[in-house]
Amino acid sequence: MEQLLEILEEINPDVDYATEKNLIDGKVLDSFSIVNLIMEISDTFDIEISPKWMKNENFNSVEAMWKMIQTIQEEE
Amino acid sequence: MSITSFSFLLFLAVLLAVYYLTPKKWQWVVLLCASAAFYLLSGVEGFVFVLLTAATSYGAVRWMQALADRQKAYFAANRGELTREEKSAFKAATKKKRRTILIVTLVLNFGVLCFFKYFHFLFAQVNGLLGLLGLPQGEDTLRFLVPLGISFYTFQTMGYVVDVYWGNCRAEGNFLKTLLFVSFFPQITQGPISDFEQLSAELFTGHSFCYENYSLGGQRMLWGFFKKIVIADLLAPYVGDIFQNYAAYSGATVMVGGLMYSVQIYADFSGYMDIMCGLCQMLGIRLRENFDRPYFSKSIAEYWRRWHISLGDWFKKYIYYPIAMAKWNLRIGQKARTHFGKTLPASIALVAVWLTTGLWHGASWAYIAWGGVNGLFIILSLWLEPVYQRCKHALHIREASFWWRAFQTVRTFLLVTFIKVLPEVGTLRDGLGFWKRAFTAFTLPSSLQELLPMQNNPTSVLSGFCSDLTGNLLIIAFGVCLMFAASLIQRKTPCRQAMQKWPRLLRWAFFVALAVLTVWVKAYSGLSGGFMYAQF
Repeated sequence: MEQLLEILEEINPDVDYATEKNLIDGKVLDSFSIVNLIMEISDTFDIEISPKWMKNENFNSVEAMWKMIQTIQEEE
Repeated sequence: MSITSFSFLLFLAVLLAVYYLTPKKWQWVVLLCASAAFYLLSGVEGFVFVLLTAATSYGAVRWMQALADRQKAYFAANRGELTREEKSAFKAATKKKRRTILIVTLVLNFGVLCFFKYFHFLFAQVNGLLGLLGLPQGEDTLRFLVPLGISFYTFQTMGYVVDVYWGNCRAEGNFLKTLLFVSFFPQITQGPISDFEQLSAELFTGHSFCYENYSLGGQRMLWGFFKKIVIADLLAPYVGDIFQNYAAYSGATVMVGGLMYSVQIYADFSGYMDIMCGLCQMLGIRLRENFDRPYFSKSIAEYWRRWHISLGDWFKKYIYYPIAMAKWNLRIGQKARTHFGKTLPASIALVAVWLTTGLWHGASWAYIAWGGVNGLFIILSLWLEPVYQRCKHALHIREASFWWRAFQTVRTFLLVTFIKVLPEVGTLRDGLGFWKRAFTAFTLPSSLQELLPMQNNPTSVLSGFCSDLTGNLLIIAFGVCLMFAASLIQRKTPCRQAMQKWPRLLRWAFFVALAVLTVWVKAYSGLSGGFMYAQF
């Protein structure tokens, strides 16, 4: 989880990720930031995120992203 | 059937009566019958292709779902007995079958769409190439009508098929319900392009009569008719005249023509959405929003997140992300150390998105160029982001200041107008000639007549009160001011919610005045223009 927070801080340091639960629906992260995020997550956690995971609810909060990463790791 | 005709209002009245008299369980059947009737009244031939899309997508999703369910059942029945390799092999075999079904369905449906939309364009390009090579050219004698709404219903339905393939949505088991999803009449001609999960939940759940929905929906429909009839339709003859005869007009007239076009297309398209969202609200159905005050955007990328939102979301979900997230593309970004390198995966995906968006809007080089210019602006703004930040810092620009935001909004509106006009004047050469005329033949006009010296003056809706030109322009100006005021209110609160605080009498007086003006203009303008986005 800490690694994920570090990635997010690097992409946009102005956001309080601990409390923000509306990262996509609230337009805090745009589609370019999302691609950067996926690039870093795939590299750091050695997983492949396919387009089927591109749902707002999977990226709206750090917890949701962390849950998605764990599910992908289990599936792989 | 024209949406702004009396027959459509009659159709709606009958639908509402039958819909609310039908038991909730069967209301979706009423919607299906209404959708089929609406489509058949607009042309019988096209409905065959709606049926084809519904049938192929129904078959495909059911088959893919059956394969996924069989895999799940097999793993459950053999829990603990299968090795990791055996599981992987079974998964791979299932995935291969599902992928084949998906590809065949996409090729078939997009093939039909491409045939109808691009046959003549491709024929002309091949002929041009043969001519260049000195070979004999063919004659394009094939004549056909493009099925109504084919670009919209094909995209919506193929999105559903891909969602089932990804496992994000379960396949619908009832063919007639699938047919309703494909052909739902308020959205088949101009969108919005909806997700199956969101729309099916609205369509297949029964709705009780609710006065609030009925009243608010009716108000929104009226607002949509006002935007379409009083603003867009009244502007159409002026825009058409200037676009057609731009070479004969001064630069000032041409510029005003471009600005008028921007207002016209917004009033036309968002007016249609207001009519249809209002109509659906009267039925208790929530249709997704397609506009979020786009002309208040501060960049072209933001503009496209606020204009025709459902199409933008479709491209983002099914083209942008799959390309940007492809392994080969991510590797490019992961190896990069510079800002430019890191933006490459997104930039490559954006090129694909914008060329496809251009082609989606029309089969011509002008539309491809239009898509290319939009994409170029967005990609350049990504690449140059660090430069912008340095400039803003050096010039001590405060991002939150009113004047900076106002500058960004006006700049974006003018840029968007400039790009928007390119494919609409005629050929790409005409589009470029239009803007060349605007800047090279600019003279300040001394009167309104000189600014808008229409060669074909439209009928005045205020004949007897003032001259043709002044009467219509006064009404258009009033409509635009009202639309602008509504956009300002919407920044904080939805307009109809804000109006609930008005005294009841004032609110009703406002809507009655709006209705009278709309009917007056419709009756006296003699204009019955179709909707601009229906051509796409």
